[in-house]
Amino acid sequence: MKKFTVILSMMLALMLALTGCVSSTNNNGNSSSQNNGGAENNEEATNEQESGEVNVYTSRHYEADQMLYKKFEEETGIKVNVVEGKGEELMERLNREGEATEADVYITADAGNLYQAKDAELLQSVESDVLAENIPEKLRDVDNQWFGLTKRARVIVYDKERVSPEELSTYEALAEPEWKDRVVIRSSENMYNMSLLASFIDIMGRDEAKAWAQGIADNMARDPEGGDRDQAKAVAAGEADVAIMNTYYIGVMLNGTDEEEKKVAENVGVFFPNQETTGTHINISGAGVTKHAKNKENAVKFIEFLSSEEAQGQFAEANSEYPVNEKVEPSELLKSWGEFKEQDINLSKLGENQQEAIRIFNEVGWK
Amino acid sequence: MNRFHWSRVHHKGWALASLFFITIILIPNLLIGVEFFTEGNDNWLHIREYLLKDYVQNSAVIIIFTALATMLIGTSLAWLITIYQFPMRNFLKWALILPLAIPPYIAAYTFHGILNYTGVIQTTLRNSFEMQVNQAYFDIMSIQGAIFIFTVTLFPYVYAITRSFFQNLSASVLENARLLGGNDVDTFFRVALPISRAAIVGSVTLVILEVLNDYGVTSYFGIQTVSTAIFRTWYGMMDLDSALKLAGTLMVLVMVVLMFERIVRGRKKFFDPSSKVRPIQPKKLTGAKAWGVFAYCFGIFTIAFIIPLLQLLRWAFMTYEKVFNAEFITLAKNSVLVASIASLIIIFVALIISNYTRLQSGLLTKFISRVTTLGYSIPGAAIAIAVITIFISLDQYIVTFLAQFNLKPEFVLRTTLIMLIFAYVIRFLAIGFNNIEAGFEKIGNRYSETSRMLGASTLRTFFMVDLPLLRGAIASGFILVFVDILKELPLTLFLQPFNFSTLATQAFKYANDERVQEASIASLMIIFISALCIFIFHRVLDKEAN
Repeated sequence: MKKFTVILSMMLALMLALTGCVSSTNNNGNSSSQNNGGAENNEEATNEQESGEVNVYTSRHYEADQMLYKKFEEETGIKVNVVEGKGEELMERLNREGEATEADVYITADAGNLYQAKDAELLQSVESDVLAENIPEKLRDVDNQWFGLTKRARVIVYDKERVSPEELSTYEALAEPEWKDRVVIRSSENMYNMSLLASFIDIMGRDEAKAWAQGIADNMARDPEGGDRDQAKAVAAGEADVAIMNTYYIGVMLNGTDEEEKKVAENVGVFFPNQETTGTHINISGAGVTKHAKNKENAVKFIEFLSSEEAQGQFAEANSEYPVNEKVEPSELLKSWGEFKEQDINLSKLGENQQEAIRIFNEVGWK
Repeated sequence: MNRFHWSRVHHKGWALASLFFITIILIPNLLIGVEFFTEGNDNWLHIREYLLKDYVQNSAVIIIFTALATMLIGTSLAWLITIYQFPMRNFLKWALILPLAIPPYIAAYTFHGILNYTGVIQTTLRNSFEMQVNQAYFDIMSIQGAIFIFTVTLFPYVYAITRSFFQNLSASVLENARLLGGNDVDTFFRVALPISRAAIVGSVTLVILEVLNDYGVTSYFGIQTVSTAIFRTWYGMMDLDSALKLAGTLMVLVMVVLMFERIVRGRKKFFDPSSKVRPIQPKKLTGAKAWGVFAYCFGIFTIAFIIPLLQLLRWAFMTYEKVFNAEFITLAKNSVLVASIASLIIIFVALIISNYTRLQSGLLTKFISRVTTLGYSIPGAAIAIAVITIFISLDQYIVTFLAQFNLKPEFVLRTTLIMLIFAYVIRFLAIGFNNIEAGFEKIGNRYSETSRMLGASTLRTFFMVDLPLLRGAIASGFILVFVDILKELPLTLFLQPFNFSTLATQAFKYANDERVQEASIASLMIIFISALCIFIFHRVLDKEAN
């Protein structure tokens, strides 16, 4: 009995704390005029709060990144605070928080997302000679609202025994009838696929892009399922002859601890498509300074650091990604696959065409 | 007459408190409800034309079969454990709740890990026996696979709730049935099932709501359901309006489920009319029967718990050097702290509301008890959006308020744990409430009525009479809520403060990056902590029973 009285009084205390905030919620929930008043105060408040911090929303969850954050802290004394989540969710959060956001930097692993963040007016332009020098123009936003940090190529992976590289040429060729029931690729819900199709909409127009999506959907060896690694496994298992997937995952499988996955990755070949024509599709991870950043200077320093040779080398070595900084060499593994010609489009197009891509996927029944 | 009189005067506090909590829960629901009836845009027309039928159909197939499977497995286990004594019964009695410790999306990654091309089964067949198997037989990433995952991770809801009901059945019910010539199977179908209908239906409803809300399993398996569609529309098409319409569709599905529950559950209250409940004494089984029952119970435990656990352990051994560090202790602390605070608050609110709805009958209380479970029907991400909106305006209000008194204005609530805990309460109140409501239903009103007739106030009666009687329901409610929060994903991902993660978000982080092996240690910790509290509370419950 006593025990329960104790527990109950504890609950009461907690409840009181909570009801305190809740009751004011109701008073305030819909009052927008008060919000505006608050926002002004908010800016005053933050100017006073000169802080040695930078607040980061990121959808990248790699140890390589965390090590870089630590290094940045050591070198500059600026503390890096991180909220991790999915790129789209963090964007929505930024959107909701508006001027009140605490985030200074938004990092995500898809150019489409970066474009949408800009489109939703969540980012701001940054003037930085360092960034201009470190990052090629094509991998930056035209208004310098976002900056590419790493590259991944979306390639054709094939079974080394059943398929010879000579049979392969372009993404478009995989939509031809001879590849019926031989292709696997993950679900259209995946942003890498949205960006891939978005790039085709830009290059070949909506109708041809739709015909391509239709062709791939018809040629699928099975309904899309699983992640990129699962596509490689399907090829190794003989379920399909080719898969469309990111180079990054082959790297991760080869460097991983699972012997069986290593075997899978060793048994498949990497083919860079469209070398004679439009180039292989690439996507980027990138960062931007949020529109309402309270620590803008720190934020710029932070992104500059991530584009530096030191940081880019780390991305390339530890994470099997291609560096954007041209002074930095890719890792040995990436080099072993050879150099390749990249799709030459402005990456903003990936975002501009994203919705159209989703509609096409739905129309052709690419699950 | 007299009774009617005091009920009106003395329940005001309870009524106000209940209405207050209900209002909070209603806000996000109303937001979605209103949006549902506005005119749709182009995206919505597109969704309706190409996708909606598939979404609804897939969701319906998954919930129907998961409901049937969990009901069958959950109630049969509960019944066998209650009425029979067989090998390892005392262990299985609580061990069968353990699969609840495994988040469905972790189970999905784990079973896929076991069954896929590089998994242990196919690898062994390939390397030791040189057998190449047809991938189709090992493909778990399908609707059937999703039903399997949901069944093995969620059946303990049905098992735990139904068993605690069976356990409190009077032995005389069973004896009467036997005296009337029924064998145990008859008794199960003709006596036990009908009188425990409310408990079973209530618990299966929880399972269904959990499935409707799932995002992790179905999105990993590539199955289009209404809840994966919400995310796809919201984030992919950047169309919150259409996403809210889909959330509305999801709520219509939930309403159908809840209405169905009401109809099936019926109006009757079942409690034993005699004042002393003599609990059922399990009958000792021998020989083949004993081993048969054991094999069934232990088999399910093996599939639902031991196998995924072994796989996770194997992965943990492969990765612990890289992943396991001091940070993990912090993660575990974080997880336990937020989960316990939120669970306590939920139990507290659930006690208030369910005490009120049982003392007072009428349309309003019916409405209240229905609304309480609504929070559970909203997708976690939608709740997160609602909560973040509320807290931001609240913060602005506080800043303005402080400025009037020349105090240093500061944002106090945003990206704090209060926000996260608040969201948990809205989301998981249903689980606590269902448990405590069932507890109240079981003890009936006569003790509290006696207490009131002897002159004690409602409050005093609540503390002195109801609470001690409800200890079992409170404990089991707490376990279920606590474990659920420990596993919770979308809300936590969305509302976690800076530099704050939980075990669940850590596990997801890895799994989402297709590094399921690295996710194993965080997953194991979730499972370990959940299992530990299930064990502790089971001991408490057992002591209560004796």
